Amino acid sequence: MAVALKAGEEKESRARQLRAAAVPYLLLLPAILALAAVSLYPTFDGVRASLRKFRYAIDVGFAGGENFVNVYGDAVFWQAIWTTVKFVAIAVSIETLLGLILALLVARELRFSGLIRVSLILPMTIAPVVVGVIWRLLYASDIGVVDPLFQLLGLGTPNVLAHPTSAFLGLVAVDVWEWTPLLFLIILAGLHSLPQDPIEAARVDGASALQTFFHHTLPLLRPVLLVAVVLRTIDAVGTFDQIYVLTKGGPGTATQLISIYAYNTAFLFNQYGRAMAMLISLLACLLLLMAAAVHFMRRSSEIAE
Amino acid sequence: MTPRERLGSVLVYVALALAILLSLFPFWWMVDTSLKRPVDIFSGVALWPQQITFDNYARLMNDYHFGSYLLNSLVVVTASVAISLAIGTLAAYALARFRLRFGVRQMALYLVLLVRMLPGILLVVPLYIVLAGWGLLNTRLGLILIYAGLNTSFVVWMMQSFLEEIPRDIEEAAMVDGDSRLTALWRVVVPLAAPGLIATAIFTVIATYNDFIIALTLTSTPAAQTIPVGVSTLIGKIEIQWGPMAAAGVVGALPIVIFALAVQRHFVRGLTFGAVK
Repeated sequence: MAVALKAGEEKESRARQLRAAAVPYLLLLPAILALAAVSLYPTFDGVRASLRKFRYAIDVGFAGGENFVNVYGDAVFWQAIWTTVKFVAIAVSIETLLGLILALLVARELRFSGLIRVSLILPMTIAPVVVGVIWRLLYASDIGVVDPLFQLLGLGTPNVLAHPTSAFLGLVAVDVWEWTPLLFLIILAGLHSLPQDPIEAARVDGASALQTFFHHTLPLLRPVLLVAVVLRTIDAVGTFDQIYVLTKGGPGTATQLISIYAYNTAFLFNQYGRAMAMLISLLACLLLLMAAAVHFMRRSSEIAE
Repeated sequence: MTPRERLGSVLVYVALALAILLSLFPFWWMVDTSLKRPVDIFSGVALWPQQITFDNYARLMNDYHFGSYLLNSLVVVTASVAISLAIGTLAAYALARFRLRFGVRQMALYLVLLVRMLPGILLVVPLYIVLAGWGLLNTRLGLILIYAGLNTSFVVWMMQSFLEEIPRDIEEAAMVDGDSRLTALWRVVVPLAAPGLIATAIFTVIATYNDFIIALTLTSTPAAQTIPVGVSTLIGKIEIQWGPMAAAGVVGALPIVIFALAVQRHFVRGLTFGAVK
């Protein structure tokens, strides 16, 4: 009787232990389900859709690799990819350079540094759609500011959004205006966490400001810069809202990034399978970038420690 | 200060002043345009409205359904943020306090980063098909569920670092006094983490309020469309109504600008999500 009681108690305490051990996993479960539902599930379902044939938005059967064959044989797709690559490369390079310069200017002791910082980051905080509205108002040939400004400088009236090359560059300028602040913030945080000793030592040894920057600050900052550039690149590849508002990809296809082309394919022409074949290909490239981001992030946190 | 140093610091301020002008002037142009009468909008570059009018704002409400858009945004943002704060904080607590086995921690963090990095356009086609199947297209509920999932990523990321800063002793003392772990979390840890929780909430509100592509593709009428989609409907027309469009932009930007000014420091932490711990 006593033995049986003891065994019962043991069972009960083991059950209690098991329950205690399960607590953290139960706490995590809802979040993991929610996260998977908006990332893994759409991705898998997207892969499935990319292998299906849709007619008038209705799934009419298995398509095999047909969507992919169509996409890779489509000159407009490659044009959209090329436009995206150009857009991202130019915009992110300028943003990184300007962000670095701004961060270096603000990193020293300044009066009003809080106010300066918040003024500089405001563009990245508002909705991208509003960014589009703002620049629509600035670029407009009849009510804007950009054309009169060019006229004042004797450069004619560009009517930015009406011509292919200027529209493309105009969108790059918008992206630079909106996202330089992100690079600025990340680099600024990086500058504040740099070890000061080697930089101080170089200065005491009589190195000029430029020498100190190129021989000490920049190499130390490299991991942070890499993370910032990779993250910004991933986001820039998906740029959609501002372009939708400003040009919808035009004039012609001059500003048709891959996101705009995929959107049109899916929601204008109801070719879900084909749109997903594009996006899955894009995802494969992005995953490589993400892997790079995670790799650099690990390295930079190791260095920070 | 030597003269050379003084010159240097003057140049720094001049460069920063120029950067701030470039950063802020576009905002002012939108506000300026939104307060002008149509005739003044077309009368050349005036950096101040010739005669201030609020007609453009009145027209947003009367002619362009902005009352509905505002209400939809309010409902969708509130509900989705509340859900994601609840489930995200629980998960963040598990990550901050427990030693997890089977690589669960890595899996959770990879999921968080994956959600952060997937571009919206990639999600909307499959989500559109799913919501269509459930009859949730063009409903607030559909938007709420999706934003709740997406926001959980922010919440887990931010709350984990806030919770790690709270010493374990405090909740352990509460548990010795007879609280269960969840009661201790609720009674002791959450109040201590309140500043972090508020910062996270604000940041999540902004991300949701600003989103465009998900609302654009999953809703189609003012019954469920949110502010950014409403703003975009003013642009598609052949003849653009510049005044109301500018006013709509101001309505879209104002809450965010106010938040940004009010909670600068926490704000920065959210903005650099994924890059800086």
